[in-house]
Order: sequence, then structure tokens, then C-alpha cells
Amino acid sequence: MELLLSSLGIYLVGTLTILWPKRLELAAHYAGMLCAIVASGMVAWSALSYLTNPVSAWLIEWHWGDYYLLGDTWSAAFLLLAGIAGVFISIYALDYGKGYLGERIRALSGLWNLFILSIVAVLISGDAFTFILSWEIMALVSFLLVNHESGKKDTVSAAYQYMVMTHIGTAAILVAFYLVGSHSASFGFADMSHNDLTGMMKNIAFVFAFAGFALKSGLMPLHIWLPNAHPAAPSHVSALMSGVMLKVALYGFGRFAFQFIGMDTFWYGLVVMLVGLISAFLGVLYATMESDMKRILAYSSVENMGIIFAAFGCGMVLMSLQLLPLAIVAFTAALVHAFSHSLMKGLMFMSAGAVMHATGSKNIEKMGGLAKKMPYTAIFTLIGAMALSSLPFTSGLVGEWMVLQSFITFAQQAGTPELRLLVIFAFILLGMTGATALGCFVRLYGVAFLGRARTSIVDKAHEQPAFMLMGMGIAAGLVVFMGICPDPVVNIMQRVIAGPAVPPMGSPFGIIWGGSGQYAIYSPAIILGLVAVTGLFLTVSLSRKGRFVQRDVTWNCGTEPTSRQQYTATGFSKPLRRAFTAILNPKRRTEYLRKEHSYFGRKMEVHLEIPDLFNDKLYKPVVTWMINSSSAFRRVQQGSVSLYIGYTMVAMIVVLIWGVLL
Amino acid sequence: MRFFFEGLGLNIIQGLILLLFAPLLAGIINKVKAFLQKRKGASIFQEYFDLYKWWRKPTILTPYTTTVFVAAPIVYFITCFVAAAMVPGFLSGQVSIGDAFVFVYILALGRFFMTLSSMDAATAFGGMGGSREIYISVLVEPAVMLAILINSMRYHTTTLSSMVIDYDGAYFTVSAALACVAFFLVILAENSRLPVDNPDTHLELTMIHECMTLEYSGPLLTLIHLGSMLKVMVFLTLFGALYLPLAVPLALKILFGAVLIGVVEILNNKMRLFKVRVYMGAAVVLLLLAIIAE
Repeated sequence: MELLLSSLGIYLVGTLTILWPKRLELAAHYAGMLCAIVASGMVAWSALSYLTNPVSAWLIEWHWGDYYLLGDTWSAAFLLLAGIAGVFISIYALDYGKGYLGERIRALSGLWNLFILSIVAVLISGDAFTFILSWEIMALVSFLLVNHESGKKDTVSAAYQYMVMTHIGTAAILVAFYLVGSHSASFGFADMSHNDLTGMMKNIAFVFAFAGFALKSGLMPLHIWLPNAHPAAPSHVSALMSGVMLKVALYGFGRFAFQFIGMDTFWYGLVVMLVGLISAFLGVLYATMESDMKRILAYSSVENMGIIFAAFGCGMVLMSLQLLPLAIVAFTAALVHAFSHSLMKGLMFMSAGAVMHATGSKNIEKMGGLAKKMPYTAIFTLIGAMALSSLPFTSGLVGEWMVLQSFITFAQQAGTPELRLLVIFAFILLGMTGATALGCFVRLYGVAFLGRARTSIVDKAHEQPAFMLMGMGIAAGLVVFMGICPDPVVNIMQRVIAGPAVPPMGSPFGIIWGGSGQYAIYSPAIILGLVAVTGLFLTVSLSRKGRFVQRDVTWNCGTEPTSRQQYTATGFSKPLRRAFTAILNPKRRTEYLRKEHSYFGRKMEVHLEIPDLFNDKLYKPVVTWMINSSSAFRRVQQGSVSLYIGYTMVAMIVVLIWGVLL
Repeated sequence: MRFFFEGLGLNIIQGLILLLFAPLLAGIINKVKAFLQKRKGASIFQEYFDLYKWWRKPTILTPYTTTVFVAAPIVYFITCFVAAAMVPGFLSGQVSIGDAFVFVYILALGRFFMTLSSMDAATAFGGMGGSREIYISVLVEPAVMLAILINSMRYHTTTLSSMVIDYDGAYFTVSAALACVAFFLVILAENSRLPVDNPDTHLELTMIHECMTLEYSGPLLTLIHLGSMLKVMVFLTLFGALYLPLAVPLALKILFGAVLIGVVEILNNKMRLFKVRVYMGAAVVLLLLAIIAE
């Protein structure tokens, strides 16, 4: 408890670097980041020691008047995630942030501390006021961080869009908290868990809470801010937003679902599950169509949050069917996948930052062959890409496997044809999501890192400074470690959900789940052993033949191949774009700049745009309606003072008449 | 512990057995096709000679390639081998090191590296193959998931060895027959066979998997071909053990599957790339009916 409280103090000290004099801005940056590293490490350590070896019932129990700080295991799980991500991203930021020297770097490092502080504060809030206060600080600080490069037009519009959206979310959460709080003794979480909310009001509270938290975690159709805000923010900020802030929304929703609302209503879980599944598939589909590296990752976050919420929803459904022992796997899956996603998405945003740093661009169509220029970054990115495609030996498959197991468990319980159709639908979406995610990251990695340079921006690319590599390296190492030895994380997360009494799923042999009847096992370490032995054997026998290797251009047909012969990222996703035209609705426009002859010497430009489905179908009409209705109001708003005095007088008279009549 | 490692040894032995017979199976498929085309055809052992020939040839690497290019065939082969060690087959007493989902994702690891390697040589053909491979895999995956789902609903587990058809119960049901047909469609698509892909041509309009192997030569090419043959073997073993509801020995069922592949390849043309949607849709619908009927 003291450790956690003092870490909050260190974050505050780090925030104060904002006030350092301008000539010390580099020192301020280092000091700020060091504070963040130390404090995040302390947060992670206190959460870890509380989770593995609890000496007291609460991680933290402290109050100041009506403001409570209260940490249970559910908080600690997310504190662990936030602390670990905070450490490696801050290490990365030591070097990455230097790119902002002279561009308000003190604000960047100071607010960085405040950002993590607000995240930690949300996670240990013990009452609705503290929660909303920290939630709002988190939203405002992240808005400022997204808006850091405010010289760019896109950044400003993205930041304000984020601001507006996140406040709609906060409003929804406020309503939900109010509904629950007004039906309980006080607004403290402990009292709110004994609320007497029933019937329609409970449904309304659930809908508002889910909408608010889904917005913050970027579930469709409320994801609209996410693919804009992430590319606009500095890379380490996107890493923290995507890696940690989105999970804080899961924390909030989990607290709401477990503690305040309960899970005995079937359709609550169903809604969460379906929204999650649809977000997962559509998110990854849009990710595969993008060519901006950070937008790809942002849409992939939509996908992964979708999977996490789908697993959580599956757990809620199992709970509503009174299958408590089986629901454990689903909730654990959601937590494990959330943890693994914070590692791998943090890693990938850091490598996106490294690539931007090296080439000055986010557009993968301009890259190619980066693996030769920046070998370490290439290895770390490969690990991240493998993890996000949920391949074996990375943390990705651990989460994904548990998610799939929870849906299989649900399938066993699905007796009626309706439930079976639901399960089939879920598996079709999960299958397509998995395969498309693989395609998406093959495309990202293959286009950016392999092959040949497409433009000259790659030529000046260089390997990144040590701290950036170190940050990425730690994340990549954790991804691989968790992929090979999943049992520590799985057991910790399971204990968060089920308590110490239930036998753990993880063992040194791998993860074992017996909820679906007989046992199913995933033992990555043993598979890796098998792979390593075979691989060693093959590598030795191949290298003995090494003298037969020639280096020559293949299939050149007597010409000099150019780098433009390579497949582009847009070309790579063409079959999928065509297969899912009905959803993606791509807009293609061809402009002929020169067309004397129909086959030869043509010069043309092809513009391809894939507008976000919900942007066009949902948000545009709403925005248009708002603008139209405000221009209707403009007729009343003439701006002349006498008119307003007139309005006031009319209002007064109406009120007076009202008062007399009643 | 000792039991575990003995079981693991059996897994490896089974992987080796499947590996040994995989080229023979490919030879048999070719022989069936030749027979139906009224050709004499090559000997059923021809694939062994071909593999030996490629193994002895030198490797040519395009200078643009990275380590991924060399690693990809190795990883691809290993994933096929591990998959072969995981399927339930001829030996009893094997241990489970991963269930059906792990099996799928092990194969996905191979696909990941093969598609990456296709983009590494910086040619148009490679990228085309990779792009189409991804497209096909997105369409196949739902059917694969449903094929796992139906068996796991029937046998209450996703462990492959526990899903083996139980001949004591009612095994020849409508649902089993539908699932069997659907899984055969999945096999054709997963292993780049007609009508989804044509393993015999090197024509850019038709090929998918072969596009990705164009840049390879020598031992690396051997590994890819052997891996592909092994993959067919693995899928036919699964087909025989889990989906073909006939109470005959597994080896016969595998042989039957191979003959069936040969016959289907003779009777069908390669379908247009964007028709594959309909084809896989059919597989998904069959599985859907099978699950409802279960």
C-alpha cells in the first residue's frame, strides 16, 4: 500500500518537470521519464506481490473525506498490466521523446506522468466521484497528448473528435453511475454493490455503462475516434493509449458488470458478446485495408478489444446460465488476452514509432526492405506481428486459445437451436477474424520490412537508439516468454477471477482446460521443444549443403527487375476487398491524365477510398442533422442585445403566468 | 513423467511414419489421375526420386531476400511435421500436446512464414500468391472452425485424439455424413488442390500456392514440397480418423481419400478465384446443417 501511494507521489513529481526552465528541457524529459519508469515499476511490483502473495485483504485502502481509494484483485490485475506497459513504454520514450526537443517536450514528459497517474487512479478509485474525476483527468490529459503535434491539421481534428467522443462516453458512464448510486446507500463502490436497482432502470444502467465503456475501448460502432486519434498521437502515447487506456475501459465495465449490475440477465452477455464479435471482424477487415501503419494498428486494437469483450460477454452468458465454474475460463481468457494485447500492441506501436523515426513516414506503401536497414527493430516487429496474428510461441495464441476454449465451453451448453446458431455465428466470425488478422500482419510486415525499397525514404533509414530498442526488446521478450510459459500469467489472472480455491489452469506443461467435458491442453513449451529439435536437425543438414548457395536474381527474364514490380499493400488486400465489397464499399475513381492511345502511353491516377461504414451510415447523418438543426436555431440567435432582452422578458412573463395559474 | 515422454516419443514416431509415406501418397494421387486420363503415368515412387533430385541441386537466392526467406521453408516443414505428430493416427498411447485449435494455429504459423517469404523476393508473382493464399485462408477458416466445433460438440472436447470416431455408438448419422463431405471440401482448399488451386500448373492466372514457391530451388524447395505432401497426408489422416464414418482401418481410409482427391481433380476445373467464396460457403452451410442436426 505504501509502495503504491508513494508511486503516485513519484508520478506527481514527474508531472512537475513541466515547470522546469526551458534550457533544462532535455534534463526535464529524462527526469520525467525516469519518474515514470520507477513509479510504473513500483505499481507493477505492488500489484504483483499483492496478487501472488496477499498480506492484506485490500491492495490499497485509503480515504480522504468522501474520496476513497480501494484496490481489490480486479484492480490489481489491471495495475499489473498498466505498470509493466508503463515501464517498457517509458524506457522507449527516453529516446523516442527526444524527437520532440524544442517542441514542448517538457509538456510531453510531464503530461505523460499525469496520464499514467490518472490511469492508476482510475484503477484504484473506490467511489464514483473519484472514478469519474480520474476518468476525466485521463481523458483530458490523453486529449492534450494526442493534440501534441497541434501544428498538423489532421492532428487537431483527430484530437477534437476524440475529445467529443470521449465526453459522450463519460456522459453515458455518469448516467450509469448515477442510476446505480441513487439506488444505494452512497456513491462508494462498496455501497453501490448492494444497490436495489431492478427491472427497466437496471437495463438502462447497463446500456449506458456498456455504451460508455465500449466507446472508450473502441468497440464498433463507437470506435470512430480510435483510428484517427492513434495515428495523430506521438507513438509512445499511442502505445500507452492502445495498450493500457483501452483496457481501463474493460476494467470499468468489469467492475460495473461484476459488482453493480450482476450477470443474471441473459441478454446483457449476449449484447456484449455480439458487439465484441462484430467489432473483432470488422476491425481487422478495416485494418487489412489501411496502408497507414498506425491506422492498421488502431483498427487491430478494435479487433482485439472486440475479442476481449466477446470473451467477457461469453462469460456473462455462462454466468446467466448459472454455470459459474465454466464462466471462469471466459473471464480469465478476457483478462489474459487483455494482458497479452497490452504487451503486443505496445510493442507494435513502438515499432511503428521506430519506423516513423527512421523513414519519416507512416505509409507502408512507401517502404520495403526495412529489415536490412534496421535488423533489431525488424526482429521485434516480427514477434509483434506474429503475436497479433495469434501464432504459437507468442502470447497471442495463449489468449486466443483460451477465448476459443470459452466459446467451445459455451457451445457444449448450447442445447437449443437458437443458441447453436449463435455459437456457429460466433465461430464463423472468430475464424475469419483469426485468418484476416494473419493476412493483415503478413501484409504489414511483408510490405514494410521485406522485399525492396519502394521509395528513397528507406535509403536513409537507420537502426534506432539503444533505449528505443530496449523498450521494444523488453516487450518482445515478455511476449515470447508469456507465449512459451503461459502459466504464471494465466494462473494469476485465474486467481483474480476465481480466487485461490479453484485449481489453476496453468502448469509448466501448458494450459489445461477441462470445462468442455474432457481435457484440452496447449503446451507451447513442449511443442517448442519439438520444433527446436527438428529445426536444429534441418538447419545443420542444410548448412552442410551451404556451399551450394548462389546469389543471383531469379526469373528476371533478361531484364533488370525494378522495385515497382512488387505487390503493393493495396494490391495485396485486393482479393479480400473484393470478397467483402458489400461491407467495405470501396470508392474507386480513375483519372486519365494522358490518354492518346487506349493501350499505350496512358497515364492515370487511381484514387481508392474506403470510408468507414459507421462514419458514413451513422455519424454523418447525425452530424448533418445537428448542423441543420443548429442553423435552424440561428434564426432565433440574431446576436442583437435588444432581442435577447426581449427573450428574457417573454420568458419572465411566461413564468409569471405559469406561477399564477398553478 | 516417464509416461509422458514415452507418449511424446510415439507422437514423433507417428510424425516420421506419416513423413515417410507422404510422398507415396502424392504418387498414388498422381497415379490415379494418370489412370483416369488413360495415361500410363509415372511410378508411384516418383515423388521420392523428385525430392532426392531437388535436394541435390544448388540453391539460388535472390539478393533482395532476408533471413525470413531461408527460414520460411524450414518453418513450413516443421509446422507440417509437428502437425503430423499431433494428429491421432495409427499408434495408441500418444499424448496430447495441443488440441484442434493449436493444430490449426501451428499450420497458420507455416502459412504466415510462407506468405511472408512470398513477399521477400520482391517479385509480382510472389506477392500475388501470398495475397491469394490469405484470401483463400480467410474463406476456409470458418469452415475449419465449424469442423472442429461439430466434433467437439459430439465428443465434448477439442483434444484431437479424443475426437476419433467412436464405433461403439451411432456413428453413421446424417450429421456425420454432412460433416464428412464438408471436411473433404476443406481439405481440397487447405491443400491447394483443384478446384480451388491447381497444383500442376505454373500459369499465373491459376496458381496460388505454386506462386509462392517460384523463387525457391534446391533443398529449400525440397522442404516445401515435402511439407505440402505431408500436409495432405495429415489432413487425410484427420479425415479418416475423425470424419469418414466407415468402420475400416485408417490406412484404407487414407487411401480412399487419396483416390477421391485424384477423382475430384480429374472431374473438376479450376474455379475462378472469386467463385471460391461460393465453394467455401457450401462447406460452411453443410457444417451448419450438420451442427443443427447433431
